[in-house]
Amino acid sequence: MPPSILLLLPALALSAVVFLAPFVWLASTSFRTQAEGSLLLADGLSFDNYIRLLADPFFLEVLLRTLAYSVITTILSLIVALPVARFIVTRAGRLKGILLALMLVPLVSGALLPSLGMLHLMGPLGVVNGASRLMGLPTVKLLGTPTGILIGLVQSFLPLMVLPLVNTLARLPADLEQAAASLGAPATAIWRRVILPLAMPGVVAGSVLVFCATFTSFVTPQVLGQGHIATFGTVAYQQAGQVLDWPFASALAMVALVMIGLLQVAIAIGSRLIRRQEAQ
Amino acid sequence: MSDNGLSRVAAACLAATMLVTAGLPAVAQDFKGKTLVVGTWGGDIERLLRQNAAEPLEKETGAKVEFVLGGSGDRMARIYAEKANPTMDVAFVNIYEAPQALKDGMVEAPDPNAPYFKDVWDGMNNGCYAMSLVGLGIAYNKKLVSKPPEWADMWKPEFKGKIALSSYPGSEGDGVLGVAARLAGKDEHDPDAAFGKLKELTPIAMTYTNLDEIFAMMDAGEVAMAPMISGYVLAALKTHPDIGFSFPKEPGPVLVRDMLCLVKNSPEPELAKKFAALALGVKNQTDYAEQLYFGPTNKNVKLSPEVSADVIDTPDEVQGLLQLDWPYVISQRSDWTQRWNKEILGQ
Repeated sequence: MPPSILLLLPALALSAVVFLAPFVWLASTSFRTQAEGSLLLADGLSFDNYIRLLADPFFLEVLLRTLAYSVITTILSLIVALPVARFIVTRAGRLKGILLALMLVPLVSGALLPSLGMLHLMGPLGVVNGASRLMGLPTVKLLGTPTGILIGLVQSFLPLMVLPLVNTLARLPADLEQAAASLGAPATAIWRRVILPLAMPGVVAGSVLVFCATFTSFVTPQVLGQGHIATFGTVAYQQAGQVLDWPFASALAMVALVMIGLLQVAIAIGSRLIRRQEAQ
Repeated sequence: MSDNGLSRVAAACLAATMLVTAGLPAVAQDFKGKTLVVGTWGGDIERLLRQNAAEPLEKETGAKVEFVLGGSGDRMARIYAEKANPTMDVAFVNIYEAPQALKDGMVEAPDPNAPYFKDVWDGMNNGCYAMSLVGLGIAYNKKLVSKPPEWADMWKPEFKGKIALSSYPGSEGDGVLGVAARLAGKDEHDPDAAFGKLKELTPIAMTYTNLDEIFAMMDAGEVAMAPMISGYVLAALKTHPDIGFSFPKEPGPVLVRDMLCLVKNSPEPELAKKFAALALGVKNQTDYAEQLYFGPTNKNVKLSPEVSADVIDTPDEVQGLLQLDWPYVISQRSDWTQRWNKEILGQ
């Protein structure tokens, strides 16, 4: 064992205790069932929870809905984050630190506070609809709708997109753009053929982070969905915290984890293929 | 800092600790250094338990009382997960969870010889000790609903789309299903009848998760009626003159109860019993009634006529309540949750 591996030990030990052990417990619980008329786990392992999950179209719908929210949130975050990141890197000057710090606020304040703030912005009597009412405009239903949840999700996870993009864009040499411009490339071509391809690592990293965060999010859909919209997170909470069917909730969590794991593998393979192509 | 320095600091800390502890008055040494862990709901309940049970207990015994706040689902998960080695001594749960916890051997069976058992109305200590009595009734907008409504009024065509329900699963939802089944001539053992009847109320105006939002919507005229559990609601109504609360008659309000459980094999059983005696005692139960409008289970509590009018506090009132078959209801929770998601919320 090379001595340098010792550097990893503290992190590994911590992960083993706070992540791996509960994870193994979760995985094993998902193969258990509760005895009839009891909340205690019955002896023996079975696939019952997974069969129930796959057999009921309700859960498939929830899965597809959660996937759809994750994809849409990722795309919206990318659209919003690219110009912001570009501004921070090229134009912000001395404001850069302040802007980055502001971007970090939603991340460090946790999911609950921003969601509660959003609740007051979007509520039927909230700031947005209150202002519309005052101006005699029609009100819009945001709480309990996909639109409301998506606004909340983009708000919550935008920093996860902005930060990797800032990182990548900051490392792009300015001469590349100047060279492209001096050869007569219009701004759109510079974006399409120079900046975006070179920013790809940041785009991929940000997209993976936002996608995974959205897929497993609980607070935002729970608070802004008002119980009207079931996502993976809210259904798992319902099963674990209210129905008290812990094995089934574990199975739901396992499915979410496997989906995220598969996504990571797909991205790893995909980026390796792209690199190989580029090398040829 | 050198090792030497560190150990010097440690020694100084130790000496300081010893000095401080030595200076403490020598009250009730027996439970000193012990900690009682109590799991309950946050807010007013925690405040009253702290004031009427935890503080007197700390003063009397020298022990510390630590509160773990959260929903009853969290506590159920915790006591089940820790059944081999419990760390929570007292857990407050809902009426529908207590019999299950007893059946699964997670909590001590209520002791009929304990004085605080005898103080509680007969037949109330199912699973754990009965802590308070509240009933599911109807909160309503007085401008839209002229007189205190009966359950059947929620189904009147003029209120279509103006009825709010709480999120499911929960006592409110189970209660409404029990009522809907009875209005359809059946009871909660016929879920098809219950869901069929309740579905007639859709689309529901909103799913409420806290009182502020539902009252704001009611004041704005967006919601006419919402089944709600008395207690907090009645306390909050004092600041909402346009909202009323009705205890219906046909059927009566659905009885909902908080239960105090002593966790089996908990680290501090003696302290837990002392805590239970204080929590179920007259002072705390009177404060529950006067401040939270939670009906007392302790029959020695004497309330003023004004408070008594708003709470369930006599055997006669309890007789009029609708009691659900909670063990059956909890066994159906999983299926009903999915039916609620699909049929009531249209997910």
